[in-house]
Amino acid sequence: MNVHVGTEIPPWDMPRVLPERMRTMAAILRDPYPVHWDRRVVATMGLGERTINQGPLGLSYMINMLHAWTGHESVKRLTMTFPLPVFEDDHVIARGIVTAVSQENHVVYADCDIWLDRDGDRPLIGTATVLLPD
Amino acid sequence: MTLPAVEDIQALLGYEFPGGRYTIAHWENFLLTECTGSGPLPNDLAHPVALFHVPILGAGTSITEMFELGHAESGVSIGIESYEWEFHQALREELEYDITGKVTAAERINTETQTYDRIQFRFDLTDRGQAVASTIVTWRYRRTT
Repeated sequence: MNVHVGTEIPPWDMPRVLPERMRTMAAILRDPYPVHWDRRVVATMGLGERTINQGPLGLSYMINMLHAWTGHESVKRLTMTFPLPVFEDDHVIARGIVTAVSQENHVVYADCDIWLDRDGDRPLIGTATVLLPD
Repeated sequence: MTLPAVEDIQALLGYEFPGGRYTIAHWENFLLTECTGSGPLPNDLAHPVALFHVPILGAGTSITEMFELGHAESGVSIGIESYEWEFHQALREELEYDITGKVTAAERINTETQTYDRIQFRFDLTDRGQAVASTIVTWRYRRTT
């Protein structure tokens, strides 16, 4: 795999963030935060009338991007911040770029900047370290 | 709701959750993975996003209790500062993990525009003594009173 600083990770597309997935996720997480399933609560916050995606769910789109790129057991480290909410029906694209390549005990790692892209906004921003395949 | 005493927030530092064990069930991983927009993963792999809820529940706590621990004014008063996840091994279905969790930072932050309490939690997953994964969750408990 030819990877170097500046290599762009193939993007991963989430064409539409589905509210029913937020509800399933809330049940699995035992997450009582109503903004994920009650539009009225979001409206009272002045954020419109679309439910807000769980932070980990947005992060999972970037994990899916990394899986597609370097394999399902490649993710070693993730950091994530959440500057903006992602809403139901949003179209978001996971993107990333390699910032460093290192070798340790004959194993090669890539450090990456990763983010969600929503029409030029970056609602989620983070970093990842992945194990590169041979 | 009254503003919690800063001493009460600072006293959370070092607080340990009961700890316990957690097994990611196949059904749970199937639905979780579907929510991410991915197809099922091969070889009994669990989707890495499980590293959000598995440590919390496995350590014997819950999102609700973590809100209450920091005297959250409401669920909507919580903001995520950051997550830091480290994987020493891939997570797998139907494998029982030992999980510990504790508070690693608790402080009051006053800025020109807001007051919030910054509380950081660390959880560790092991499998028969071998490190599997760790996660650091940092939340902001916004105060309006």
